[in-house]
Amino acid sequence: MDLIRKKRAEAVNRIISKGYLSTKRVYVGMATCEIAAGSKEVMAVFQDAIAKGLTDVYLSQKGCAGRCNLEPTVEVVEEGKIPVKYGLVTPERAREIIERHLKKGEVIQEWVI
Amino acid sequence: MADKQYKLTFCDGSGCLKNHAREFRQLFEEELRRHQIQQNVQIHLSGCLGMCTKGPILIVNPGYIMYGNLRPEDAAEIVQEHLVNGRPVSRLIIQEDHLYNRFFRIFGDSEFFGRQMRIALRNCGVIDPEKIDDYLAMRGYEALAKVLTEMTPQQVIEEVKKSGLRGRGGAGFPTGLKWEYTAKQSDPEKYVICNADEGDPGAFMDRSAIEGDPHTVLEGMIIGGYAIGSRQGIIYIRAEYPLAVQRLKKAIEDARREGFLGERILGTDFSFDIRICLGAGAFVCGEETALIHSIEGFRGMPRPRPPYPSVSGLFGKPTLINNVETWANIPVIIIDGADWFSRIGTATSKGTKVFALAGKVRNTGLVEVPMGTTLRDIIFGIGGGIPNGKKFKAVQTGGPSGGCLPEKYLDTQIDYESLAKAGSIMGSGGMIVIDEDSCMVRMARFFVEFTQDESCGKCTPCREGTKRMLEILTRITRGQGKPGDIEKLERLGTMIQKASLCGLGQSAPNPVLSTIRNFREEYEEHIHQKKCRARECTALLSFVVQDNCVGCGACKRVCPVNAVSGNRKEKHSINPNLCIKCGQCYDACKFNAIAKV
Repeated sequence: MDLIRKKRAEAVNRIISKGYLSTKRVYVGMATCEIAAGSKEVMAVFQDAIAKGLTDVYLSQKGCAGRCNLEPTVEVVEEGKIPVKYGLVTPERAREIIERHLKKGEVIQEWVI
Repeated sequence: MADKQYKLTFCDGSGCLKNHAREFRQLFEEELRRHQIQQNVQIHLSGCLGMCTKGPILIVNPGYIMYGNLRPEDAAEIVQEHLVNGRPVSRLIIQEDHLYNRFFRIFGDSEFFGRQMRIALRNCGVIDPEKIDDYLAMRGYEALAKVLTEMTPQQVIEEVKKSGLRGRGGAGFPTGLKWEYTAKQSDPEKYVICNADEGDPGAFMDRSAIEGDPHTVLEGMIIGGYAIGSRQGIIYIRAEYPLAVQRLKKAIEDARREGFLGERILGTDFSFDIRICLGAGAFVCGEETALIHSIEGFRGMPRPRPPYPSVSGLFGKPTLINNVETWANIPVIIIDGADWFSRIGTATSKGTKVFALAGKVRNTGLVEVPMGTTLRDIIFGIGGGIPNGKKFKAVQTGGPSGGCLPEKYLDTQIDYESLAKAGSIMGSGGMIVIDEDSCMVRMARFFVEFTQDESCGKCTPCREGTKRMLEILTRITRGQGKPGDIEKLERLGTMIQKASLCGLGQSAPNPVLSTIRNFREEYEEHIHQKKCRARECTALLSFVVQDNCVGCGACKRVCPVNAVSGNRKEKHSINPNLCIKCGQCYDACKFNAIAKV
């Protein structure tokens, strides 16, 4: 039991050390259904932006949340703020999310689920 | 005046309602109006949050601050202090750390997700499925550690029995009993199997569960192995799920590295390992004895039971088989306790059930709701109702083994017994909504075609009977139905149900029999009046040009058999003797001037 507590603490530390708490967390849905709907391309946009110097963002993938007709989905989670969930995200929308939401902090209401 | 927007979630589950949650909400809304901040606040209702003893519950976002045990006089204080002054009322805040709440933190404020209750899918959409760290952070493998260090195998089985969990693969056999039978066998060699051979058309619960959170399935299986005294687990999954297989493989490797799988797990004397076995996608291999044959390397064919796999399963050894969703529930039962788990659901069915909501419904997707939720709540609440203003006709549950339920069953509370009583089954969780544009005879025909194709051929009634049923149904949809066909279908169906060995055959006639029972008039119309009210059976239709035809010629151009005639800018006509009813003219017409009658 102690061992598992230790393991969990280590795991949490590893996640935090990747910048989990201090920044905006972006989750892209990457299950079969979401990939079919085009989430790989969306993921690529975020990865590309980070490679080109976008900072303060913790990018991660996640499984299917189950909102099939609005896939691909992207969540932006910030500590202390209401999590924002975008639906039907295309590469274009992803670029706009980066510009408007991640850089300027503006929630793009019309794409929110 | 609060300068930022708050999102409030009120629990609207039956437990909270008993504690006057609705009255509290009304009071609260009055307070909001009194302070004139209602426009800064968004209010959501959620389904049961599983904290019924502490109701009414209110969650305030941002911050995910949860209030409980609320009394009427608290409304004014929360509005004044928290929403106006921005100081949460600490004396009313409750700390609850149930596993499923993690999902709710992110998704709880939307209509679609908020009304769900996620236990099996608690991490799907929350964590990165390929990182064991993410799972560990969500108290992953804590249930395993608890079981290995603090519980005897017998206690684990008692806990699962007490939780009231039943098999989520469809039949609903009490999971704890199954574990107990397998544990009782004295053979030192035993197996644990995860049945991930999901084959119902339109169902994807297991795939999503594995792709979203593979470790929870592994953890459930290891606990199962400990409880029954097995050293080897096998996941039988279809090769058509490459991503799920890849994530499972990664999860198994990670778990081995961290010491959750393999020799001497977490430093105890217990050793257990899991391997993956790929299936080739035969529907019948979801049946447990056929599945076992397939793992053994034989053709996937069921055998008579008893002996049940718990006595003589894989390689003749005692074997514990459970479905993906069942396994995913196990860690939650261990951590949050059987008492908590058994408070959710109905008298006979505990916990939640995942459904793949599909068909003619606005919000399609994965839905996990407490047992006892009505079909209406799922279809019209979470699902958002039927699109395009169409009328609801029926809902098909349980895939090819299930049945179609018409409107009068919409208020059925979902559990194993009530669905069976209504003439359908729980099944593994397919839920297809049908609107007035779908023909029930064709629907039945589709499912029979599927089961006919997937029948392994061992039992004559299933192999030949479904074939004959398909022939009759095909005839009816082609307008060649004969008087007496319905009775023949009923007779055949009952016979196949009674004389087949396995679940596939026993349930294959269900879609036909249930549509005959509930929509007999549609069958009769097809046979006697040669009419299809949903206008789907093209053989029973004729295409007619109506008076609003402008003579554009679009239909004439697309007709492959030159059945359309008429001069430009004059009304065209279709020669019924030439028409092959392909429907291309209907699709081509921009003026809705062609009618199917």
